Amino acid sequence: MKPLWIGLSLAAAIGMGESRATTAEDIASFTLDNGMKIMVLEDDSIPNANMYLFWKVGSRNEVPGITGISHFFEHMMFNGAEKYGPKMFDRTMEAAGGANNAYTTENITVYTNWFPAGALETIFDLEADRIADLDINAEMVESERGVVVSERLTGLENSNWRVIQEEVKGAAFRAHPYSWSVIGHESDIAAWTLEDLQQYHKTYYAPNNAVVVIAGDVKLDEVKLLANEYFAPIPAQQPPREVKTVEPGQKGERRVFVKKASVSTPNVMLAYHVPATSDPDYYALDLLAAILGEGKSSRLYQGLVNEQLALGADTYMPKTFDPNLFYFLGVAAPGVSADKLEQAMLAQVAAVAKDGVTQEELDKVKNLRLMDFYRTMETINGKANTIGTYELYFGSYDKLFNAPDAYAKVTPEDIQRVAQSYFTRANRTVGVLAAEEEQDQ
Amino acid sequence: MRMMKQAVMSASVALALSLTACSATQSTKAQPEPSQSGFQMPAYEQLQLKNGLTLMLMPQHEVPLITVNAVVRAGSVQDTSSGLASLTAKSLLLGNSLKSKADTELLVDSLGASLNANAGKEGSYISADFMARDAKVMLPLIKAVLLEPSFDSAEFDKLLQREVASLTRVKESPRAVIGNYFAAQLFGEHPYGNPTSGDSQSLAGISNQQVKAFHQNFYQPANTAITVAGDFELASMKAYLQKLFGDWDTTSMATQVELNPAPAPTKAKVLLVDKPDAIETTFVIGGKGISRDDPDFVGLQVINTILGGRFTSWLNDELRVNSGLTYGAGSRFTPYRDDGLFFISTFTQTGTTAETIDLALKTYDKLWQQGIDQATLDSAKAYVKGQFPPRYETSGQLAGLMADMYLYGFDQGFINDFEASVNGLTLDDAKRLIEKHFPRENLQFVLIGNAAEIAPVAARHGDVRQVEMTAPGFAR
Repeated sequence: MKPLWIGLSLAAAIGMGESRATTAEDIASFTLDNGMKIMVLEDDSIPNANMYLFWKVGSRNEVPGITGISHFFEHMMFNGAEKYGPKMFDRTMEAAGGANNAYTTENITVYTNWFPAGALETIFDLEADRIADLDINAEMVESERGVVVSERLTGLENSNWRVIQEEVKGAAFRAHPYSWSVIGHESDIAAWTLEDLQQYHKTYYAPNNAVVVIAGDVKLDEVKLLANEYFAPIPAQQPPREVKTVEPGQKGERRVFVKKASVSTPNVMLAYHVPATSDPDYYALDLLAAILGEGKSSRLYQGLVNEQLALGADTYMPKTFDPNLFYFLGVAAPGVSADKLEQAMLAQVAAVAKDGVTQEELDKVKNLRLMDFYRTMETINGKANTIGTYELYFGSYDKLFNAPDAYAKVTPEDIQRVAQSYFTRANRTVGVLAAEEEQDQ
Repeated sequence: MRMMKQAVMSASVALALSLTACSATQSTKAQPEPSQSGFQMPAYEQLQLKNGLTLMLMPQHEVPLITVNAVVRAGSVQDTSSGLASLTAKSLLLGNSLKSKADTELLVDSLGASLNANAGKEGSYISADFMARDAKVMLPLIKAVLLEPSFDSAEFDKLLQREVASLTRVKESPRAVIGNYFAAQLFGEHPYGNPTSGDSQSLAGISNQQVKAFHQNFYQPANTAITVAGDFELASMKAYLQKLFGDWDTTSMATQVELNPAPAPTKAKVLLVDKPDAIETTFVIGGKGISRDDPDFVGLQVINTILGGRFTSWLNDELRVNSGLTYGAGSRFTPYRDDGLFFISTFTQTGTTAETIDLALKTYDKLWQQGIDQATLDSAKAYVKGQFPPRYETSGQLAGLMADMYLYGFDQGFINDFEASVNGLTLDDAKRLIEKHFPRENLQFVLIGNAAEIAPVAARHGDVRQVEMTAPGFAR
């Protein structure tokens, strides 16, 4: 197979570049009998390795009453299993030189282990124990509720994005589980039971519901051996019930206002319904997000920040299993009202729909994506995370290596078409976060 | 997320080398020594041009990218008005001899590249990364940004307005500003108490003329290093940069301030920052730490790992895992050239402020009451060693490391001897380090929260000074 990004990556202008970027051939993949798919990338650039476990469970798998349980469960996975009891997962890993973290999104829960390569077997042992034999301890559940309440509050205290997004999502979705925040409603955090948690583990933490990526200074044969020893004996379960709810089409603009006394200038969020990441329009929308919001030459920076209307203006489109939202967030400059900022943001959105974008703008953001790719592929953690992400959201990790073609095919006409299709008034939710709500006349 | 990034000590360390610039071109090649055990620094070359400019070059070929850092020995400790070094760095991006601000931004984005400028307490930085094929476009641009900024007055006025507004905005997040309050509380009028960002009042008083003068005084070749890491061929890059920067003439002799360490606090004090709509209390507790050239730098990294530098650390274990009072608790040393600080940090719901502070103090006291056992020390040593290589994995990290080496005067021995230094740490060393470096008396507190609820708690821990969160500045 030809090297990745051929035609884009040329020899360095100063002397000869010798770079050897990763290709699809560098990744080995195998599936255990229990359905767990494992991908391995050998990379000895540092004497370390990682193991990323991607579980296909997130807040979209929840229902009212147990919102936030996916994220809470992420915490409980560290709180004791049969062989390694409470605290022993972290103590054992850290004593072996390893560190870990985890994150939960609307779609997936990801566990990340980073360790000196020699600790690989210890990591397999720790993971297998909690996947096969998690022991959900009632006392730990209660203590962990306090941790998650604190996590929720510190997010709301320190991040205006959190505060406004939670309300905007709630308005934009009235049927689909994307309606609630990943961390869940405060009352649900206090309410779920031991049985809820046990059922969640059995349903979602089955090997057939996971994708594992290991990257770093390891050998494929060694990984296969350990995977067969530690992960293969864990039995598969019935696949989880599918999320069948489809959000009904929005019939008109929705608006929310959020008051927070310490907000110094208004924040305005626009959110438009867009298709899932697997949709062919993903690439055009992703490039449009960059044209509008990435870099100082972007339309929002030049049109809003440089014009002293906003202190910042960004776009965000999460990768997603089901149709989700394309977000804009603007933060008003002093003296600029929420309404004025909103109108200025809408004008930028409308300009793309009306007049399209130039080929130069499009070429520019294709280069931004190429740089993003290289930066990601510079670390073993970036590689592992990206390989897993493509496997889950695009159906296969080798789509990562087709992405350049997919991006290259996007035309200015595609950009204008997706802007016209999705950035309509009826399809949007507007959120305003400010210290004081404007008064009735 | 399960936890926030643990606070860890900065990678920078100084091994007390002379910072005197030589006038003749000199070159040293540092090669890793395969015979040594542990993680080794990749090969790089360091040379000094006749004009005094230092170049540090490290080829890295994993991806076709290059990172360039320019580091100038001038930071907020040189501020004559608070925020001057920072505003000067940001003003570099307002246009230059080659291109206007807008054209610079368009060029950088068109290449998919990045170009940033900022200042810290002791250094000012330009950093850029780009595809290797664009080196001959980006390097001359970096030179123009560094040497020949246009200091356009209309753009300066706009930048100033944005920066002043941002300093008000940043106070929406207690976590984002508590470090500034703590440095002011600990160092007071000492230059290390000066917030690098400045404050909304000091910044508003800075003129474009002052910015030009700061640039003129400090952005001089003998006061600067260019560090480059990435996908290039060493000899050609060296020749290219020698030619590109060879004509940079010295026009001013930068004067370095020699700072004396700040006096240690003589009584326990509490700064209470009132944020009436706070739903939690964010707090730090600490005192003086170490300077970057302290020989105990690496050892303290290990000891602090046990106290508050990892998930199973005593602070996180007690405050989060055992009691559910917080999402995360930790501690860290922040070293500067001539002084430093140490602090414990966490946050909790307003109603549990008192018990959380008490538990943090009780846990901290375990350093003296209980001490460290061999198993815990061994675990921390393994952890610190195991997590070390990923800190120097990318071209960006390696270019940053070389910039720190220049700024703080240490060499590759820091990387190459790290594992041996960690391995050599004994229980007796641990005890000595605790007695010598962790502040035990006259602790300084900063609490950000709803003062109406937590003022009585604050009063239990020292002399209280209360300020409004919305008041300009950081109560210095």
